[in-house]
Order: sequence, then C-alpha cells, then structure tokens
Amino acid sequence: MSTQAVLETPATGEAPPIPVRSAEFEDPVLEARSLVKRYGDLEAVAGLDLSIQPGEVYCLLGPNGAGKTTTIHLFLGFIEPDAGRVRVSGFDVARNALDARRRLAYVPEQVMLYRNLSGLENLQYFAALGGRETLSSERLTDILVDVGLPLPAVGRRVAEYSKGMRQKVGIAIAVAKDAEALLLDEPTSGLDPKASREFSELIETLRGRGVAVLMATHDLFRAKESGTRIGIMRHGRLVTELSTDEIGHADLERIYLDHMQE
Amino acid sequence: MIRHIVRKEFTDLLRDGRFRWCAAIVGVLLLVSLGSGLVETRRAEAAHTAARETARDHWESQGEKNPHSAAHYGIYAFKPRLPLSFLDQGVDPYTGTSVWLEAHRQNDFLMRPAQDATAGQRLGALTAAQVLQYLVPLLIILLAFGALAGEREQGTLRQLLATGISRRDLALGKALGVAGALALLLIPAAIVGSAAITLGSPGPAATPFARGTVLAAGYLAYFAVFVALSLAVSAWVRSARTALVALLGVWVLNGLVAPRVAVDLSKWLHPTPSAVEFARTMEREVRSGVPGIERPDRGETTARLLAEHGAETVDDLPVNVIGVYLQESEEFANQIFDRNYGDLWNRFERQGVVHEALSVAAPLLAVRTLSMGLAGTDVEQHRHFATAAEQYRRDLMRRMNGDLAENSRTGETYIATEDTWAEVPPFQYDAPSLGWVLQNRTLSLGMLGLWLVGAFLVAGSLVRRAEVA
Repeated sequence: MSTQAVLETPATGEAPPIPVRSAEFEDPVLEARSLVKRYGDLEAVAGLDLSIQPGEVYCLLGPNGAGKTTTIHLFLGFIEPDAGRVRVSGFDVARNALDARRRLAYVPEQVMLYRNLSGLENLQYFAALGGRETLSSERLTDILVDVGLPLPAVGRRVAEYSKGMRQKVGIAIAVAKDAEALLLDEPTSGLDPKASREFSELIETLRGRGVAVLMATHDLFRAKESGTRIGIMRHGRLVTELSTDEIGHADLERIYLDHMQE
Repeated sequence: MIRHIVRKEFTDLLRDGRFRWCAAIVGVLLLVSLGSGLVETRRAEAAHTAARETARDHWESQGEKNPHSAAHYGIYAFKPRLPLSFLDQGVDPYTGTSVWLEAHRQNDFLMRPAQDATAGQRLGALTAAQVLQYLVPLLIILLAFGALAGEREQGTLRQLLATGISRRDLALGKALGVAGALALLLIPAAIVGSAAITLGSPGPAATPFARGTVLAAGYLAYFAVFVALSLAVSAWVRSARTALVALLGVWVLNGLVAPRVAVDLSKWLHPTPSAVEFARTMEREVRSGVPGIERPDRGETTARLLAEHGAETVDDLPVNVIGVYLQESEEFANQIFDRNYGDLWNRFERQGVVHEALSVAAPLLAVRTLSMGLAGTDVEQHRHFATAAEQYRRDLMRRMNGDLAENSRTGETYIATEDTWAEVPPFQYDAPSLGWVLQNRTLSLGMLGLWLVGAFLVAGSLVRRAEVA
C-alpha cells in the first residue's frame, strides 16, 4: 500500500468523546494570541500571533533560540504562557490541555523510542495511547513501511535503529493518530534526501485531508516545498510572514538572511 | 488506556536484562529464605516436641519424693512455634523459647540462638521478612526510579504526553507495571508460603491463614508505599540518576538509620536494667522484702495456724505448717517477681510504643512490628507466653505445696507417690487471637495506613506538576 493509500483510508478506532468547545471557536485549528513566554529576563516568545487553518502548512523559520520550539511546546501545553493564549481546535490549552493534545500529533527533532520494544510495538503503544488502539498490526506495519521504514526493520528492537529510522517511526506515530493538527519540530532531522522527499509528499497528503500543520525548521528548501505559509522568527517575534506561492527559493533565502542580519 | 501502559511497562521490564538479574537474585533469596525458615522452624518445633515429651517423661518418672523436692526438680515449658514464625523470627532468637519452671524462682528464658551466634552468623541468617522488608523495596526502587525522570531524560515523556494521556494515568500505569513485575516474584513466594502454612501445625487459636492474609496485606501496603515514593521522587527530580541517588538515600534512612535510632531513642527514653542488675535486685528483694511486701515468718505462720485451728501444738494441726509456709513464701516471691517483671514489661511496652511511633519517619518500623506480631514472634507475644508459663509454674507450686500441707503433718517425712506427678496437667499454651494481635498493633497499622495515603497524595501532587522536559 502506498503512502497515499494508507492515508486516504480513515483510521478505524473509537475516538475519545468530544467535550463542548469554546463558543469563540471559529475556523483556525491552531491559534496563538499575544503569546508571551519568558525565562527569567529572556523573552523566548514575545507577543506571537498565529492562526493556522485546516489544510494549511505553516513553516516557522528562524535561528536557534528564535522561539520556534518554545512555540510548539506552548501549543502542546508542556509549558504555560506568561501572557496570551493558545488554542487547538477551539480548546484553550491552558484549561483543556488533554483535549487539545488529543487533537494534535507531534514529531520532535529527535524522536525517542523504547529500546526494548520493536518499531511496530512502539507504534502500537503510542497509537493506543493516542486513541487508535483498534488499528491492526498489519495496518500499522503498512504505515511504518510507507513512511520509509524497511519491512525487515519493523519487528526489530529499536535499540538497533539509526536516528533516521527512529525519526520515521515518530512520523508514523503522528500519521497513525489521524489528528486534526500536526506539530513538527525539525522533523526531517536525520533523514536522508529520499526520505525527506517522501516526508514532503506525506505532508502534502495530510494537507489535502485538511490537517493543519505547524512545522519548525531550519531547512529553507523543505519549508518552501512543503509549506503554504512561512513565518520567520527572531528573538521570539514573528518578523515576517510569506506565502510560498508568491516567492521562489532564492527569494526566500534572501529574505531570511536579510532578517538574520538586522 | 492504563492497560496499554501497564502492558508496555511489563514487557519493557521483562526484556531488560538488569531487571531479570535483580529479580532473579531477590527471587532466589526470597525462596531460599522461605525454605530455610521453614526447615529451621520445623526442626526447632520437632526438637521442642521431643524435649517437651522428654521433660514430661522425666517429671512423671522422677520417682517417689517429697513434693517440695519435686517442685525444685521442676519442668521445662516450650513456646510453640506458630506457623508463620518461619517468615519472621522476630525477637525469639534474643528472648529464647523455653523456660525452666521451678520453686522460688522465675527463671530467664533459654534457647537463645543470638546469644551463641557470632556477629557474622547473625547477619548471615537471612529471613524471608528481611528480604521483604529490605530487598524488595530496593528492587522496587531499581524498577521505578526512572519511571518519569528516565522518560523525561530520554525525551519520551513529551511524546507520551503529546498523545493526550494524563500524567495521572501514566503514573498509575507505571505503578501497575512495576506491580505486575513484582508479582512474578511474589506470587511464587506466596504459593510457597501458603504451602508452608498448610504443612505447619497451628495451635487452636493461631489462625494462620487469617494472620497470613493480614500479613500479606501489610507487606503489599509497604511495597505500595515504595512504589508511590519512587514515582514521587522520579516526578520531582530532573534526572534519573538524581532520582536513584535520592531513593537510595530514602532506603538507607528507612532500613539502616531509622531502626538504629528507634532502638537507641526508645532505650534512652525508657531505660531498662541490665540482666545482671535486674537479677541482683530481685535476689535482694526476695531475701529481704520491700516495704509493703514483707517476707513471711515461719513462727508467725505457725502461730496463725494454731489460732485458726484452736490447736496448742503443731502436732494437733490438720495441715503441715511447712507446706503452708512454703506456699506463703512462694506468694511473697511472686509479688516481688510481679513488681520487678511488671516494671520491666511496662518499660518494654513503652519502648515499643516509642518504636512504633517513630514509624512516622520510616515505614519499615511499622511493617516490621506488624510482621513480628502476625508471625507470633514479637515482645508482646513473648510476654503472653511468659505470663502463661509463669501462671503454670505458680499453679504447679501451689499444687506441690498443697499436697505437702494437706497430706502430711509437721515434722513428718512425707514422700508422695509417682501418681502425684502424673496428676499434674501438662503445660498447654494457646497463642493469642488475631484480634488480640491487631489490637496491640493498632499504632503500626495506623502508621502504615498513613504512609500509604501520604505517599500516594505526595506522588499524585508531584506527578501532576512534573516537568515535561
């Protein structure tokens, strides 16, 4: 089964009950308003406003320490904002972190897995915790293979996996969750060019299904290829927003470097 | 949701070579200690039975003699081993399990293995109770120290929480996963223990299965405290290594420091005399009497008996003055014994209360006291047996002195037949009921309950606030 086929088949399994959402919920799946996060004197996120609609792939670009990962952690509710608010599918993360997380899938820069379990067992575990416990082993194996994990590796313990293979399992975990929103923090880190290309195709497919994607990355090429909008962050602020339809690769690189030199 | 976490934790632990080795070592030690405890208990019980029969045989076949000589000949009483004593020897190796019952004296207990053992032998005698009290908590710490700190350190915690599970469910699943792994050790041990109880020979009031059930519940509560503490520390500190060091510190305080402090503090608050000092005091008081407890005078006894019976000489008395006087001397000595032993037991009791109260700082103290109580090897049950044996001695002396007083006349050489000895009923001891034991251990039960509730509340609070990265 191809990536396309796997993703177009709705994941079976009973979804958790959906609580009443905020009356203010409109279209955005991911929304940040006047978001501030400080660490002592350092303002990691400084008044960020962000709104990502279903089917939109928003790429956050910026140097290390720009606030990209902090923004993702604020959406996940791992840290509390000092000001402003974050919403996922209408759920205020500060009040309903669990409801918000149930609608999210997350791929960190370095996917960490359980060394004593196989890739398939890891996927089964995370999928079950994400509410997809009824997905069959065959179905999960297909997902692993379609994100680029070699079939013979599916049943092997993760202790034997390379960083790239772990990353693919992380992506498979996100795919299996069938979430409304996807948070990606340098997801192609450690992937070879072929796997990165397949990842871009995967993002495109998810976008077609109406998934809202927020991806933090250093990879200008991948951002242009996969994103629908690009935001450049520096010192916790969104210094510019661009539509990928309106710029080329060279333009993006020039604009990015201009902002980094300011 | 939780069952997935439990299953994963269980599988992960089973595949972890470190767990397999640790569990195998603890499991073998537990089974060996259970087995050796059972063998030792049965050997000791067989030796007691043989010695009891021999002592009774000697008593009945001591030949014709004066009853007072028979009272000096005396008889041994043996504390029966309760079926659960193979788990926990308690104070038995220090207090002894047999006593020689004779006229005029309340003797010390004999058969005290600790008295004859070298320090090495004492440390080497690993009991099942020690494995359960010291090694199983250590194993729990080794299994659970990384429950949250390790996940945080490895980076899996954020991926786990991103799935939408709550910290509470995660912690509960991990606790149950550890419990499942422990069950692999404890269920075989429980089966061996139950078989041993079945093979044992409980006394009529020993209620071994009821005691065993409460004992198992007590130990499970103790283990649950360690699981909760491990999760709490693992949620609190940043790294798995720090969690391990902190938990090993807790283990040392609980298992090594607190018991020593409890013993020293309870002795300091309620000091007891040394054995030599105690024996000298009693000897002096028996020789001279104390204010309010006067030593009987043979002349006064004679005068009183003459007055009571309206007789002019002892030859006219229907009783032997010597027999009556000997009984009065016994009763005088009994008052001295009651006064001294009563004070000593009360001091032991107050020391025990201090010891139990200090379990607020270390759950080991609570579970250890409860374990000894349910195994029938604590100080209170030693006192219960000692009191029963002393009562038997007093009845025996009353019977011997009564025989002398009623069946002979003053100045006459009286020799009783062997039938007299056979008429003395053998010493029968019924262990106290479970209710009696639990009533004595209310404080330990309360402290253990307090630890259980407190540990889970603290764990719940720290797990809720655990940092993700």
